[in-house]
Amino acid sequence: MVGLSVGEKNFIKGGIAQDLRNDGRKRLTYRPIYVETGVIPQANGSARVKLGETDVIASVKAELGKPRVSHPDQGKVYIYVECSPTAEPSFERRGGDELSTELSTALERSLLGGKSGAGAGINPASLLIKEGKVCWDLYVDCLVISSDGNLLDALGAAIKAALSNTGIPRVQVREAASSDEQADVDVSDEEFLQFDTSGVPVIVTLTKVGRHYIVDATSEEESLMSSAVSISVNRHGMICGLTKRGGAGLDPSVILDMISVAKHVSEQLLNKLDSEIEAAERANEGEP
Amino acid sequence: MASKTGSTPATYSPSPATHKKKRIPIADVDWVRPDSRGFYQCRPAYLRTGAVSPAAGSAYAEFGNTKVIVSVFGPRESKKAMMYSDTGRLNCDVSYTTFATPNRGKGSDKKELSSMLHKALEGAIILESFPKTCVDVFALVLESGGSDLPVVISCASLALADAGILLYDLVASVSVSCVGKNLVIDPVSEEESYSDGSLMITCMPSRNQVTQLIVDGEWSTPKIHDAMKLCLGACSKLGEVMRSCLKDVVTDLKE
Repeated sequence: MVGLSVGEKNFIKGGIAQDLRNDGRKRLTYRPIYVETGVIPQANGSARVKLGETDVIASVKAELGKPRVSHPDQGKVYIYVECSPTAEPSFERRGGDELSTELSTALERSLLGGKSGAGAGINPASLLIKEGKVCWDLYVDCLVISSDGNLLDALGAAIKAALSNTGIPRVQVREAASSDEQADVDVSDEEFLQFDTSGVPVIVTLTKVGRHYIVDATSEEESLMSSAVSISVNRHGMICGLTKRGGAGLDPSVILDMISVAKHVSEQLLNKLDSEIEAAERANEGEP
Repeated sequence: MASKTGSTPATYSPSPATHKKKRIPIADVDWVRPDSRGFYQCRPAYLRTGAVSPAAGSAYAEFGNTKVIVSVFGPRESKKAMMYSDTGRLNCDVSYTTFATPNRGKGSDKKELSSMLHKALEGAIILESFPKTCVDVFALVLESGGSDLPVVISCASLALADAGILLYDLVASVSVSCVGKNLVIDPVSEEESYSDGSLMITCMPSRNQVTQLIVDGEWSTPKIHDAMKLCLGACSKLGEVMRSCLKDVVTDLKE
């Protein structure tokens, strides 16, 4: 990753202890977020998010599928992250697999809620077309183009933006002759339904360096971390998912403190992100 | 020889609807758990070390219907490591047998579980004690009866202790499911499938340090407080059970 000398490490650690990071930010300040939607015309929805130098693209594609036997009243959502070698040469071929799996699992945990589907950012029941027969399968594919730390937060923001840009085609079900056959569906090319993203949570990663937490770590700061906790918070202040990353042990009181800090930071992030997404959508509509 | 009537008899296949399809009325506080445990009661644990003799260390754990066997090989030379490293490496692999789940599974290894096991154990192992070498932890889930990953983690740390790898502390792991308004500790697979959220904690009981915490579903902060307290209490009890299991082996040898 990033090679730092002992002097550089002490410099960064000392700065963080005094609430002053290398780029002048405070401990709980995010880098400027830049959102662009509709970057992939063939997808149902897409977005590109730049968080400082970290650059990710998320695309959403909806395909018709059959609901799972265990949950016949829900659609399916698959989240997959790919780390491109353009971000890091070590990501070539199998190198990026471990990081991809870790990010995909963390995102699925944050956005898809519990096993029964409760508390999900993306409500799987809204993807249903005909119970037990036809549903929408949402494939959310993310690509990491450039990595400068805090990939998870950027991916979470990109997925939120891509979902607000997503249009699911309107479907009309033609009754099948016998109930066993595949129901015929008429997929409209014209009308689209916008996704409701008010419930989609935002992910805040708190990195512990020394005795303090920082938000939105760059890759230099991440190489110094003892551990990090990624907390996904939604608009109502409920925790939708939590993943502890990094091997070092943490005291339980520290984790609870991190949760309250994350809730506080997430409010500002949610508002900022929502306004950026709206601005991006307006810019999209402005174009002919 | 039993005579067979007319047409070929259909072979018996267990009906897939043996478990209830409808959701249990969760709002009902009097709801009883499938194995009639209390909400805050864990399954009785059966732990044994030395299950696999060629391995450096191994352990077998049975928590109700969840049966896991873990074997540890090493420290030994690693084929993967090209670079010199002055700390040891840990390599984890979790796989399910094809007969572990009610529907025949593919038996492929689960990459996410392997990386979660790795993260849970790496904080407890003193990696500096075996530089240049690698310790392999192989976990096999023989039967998946719910709460698989916590059982795998606890069993793996027991196997590491059995192998004589230096550890800061044993790692105990417990998960809690949120079913309706109730917190249910150590859920079985039925409870997991209709849970509204789950929280899994991996901690080192004597050091009171959490090495891994995974939460999914929607939680309010007070609920997380309660769930964490519940799990940490259960982890320390599980840690004692694991310790006594290891001590029993030594006392048996002495006799």
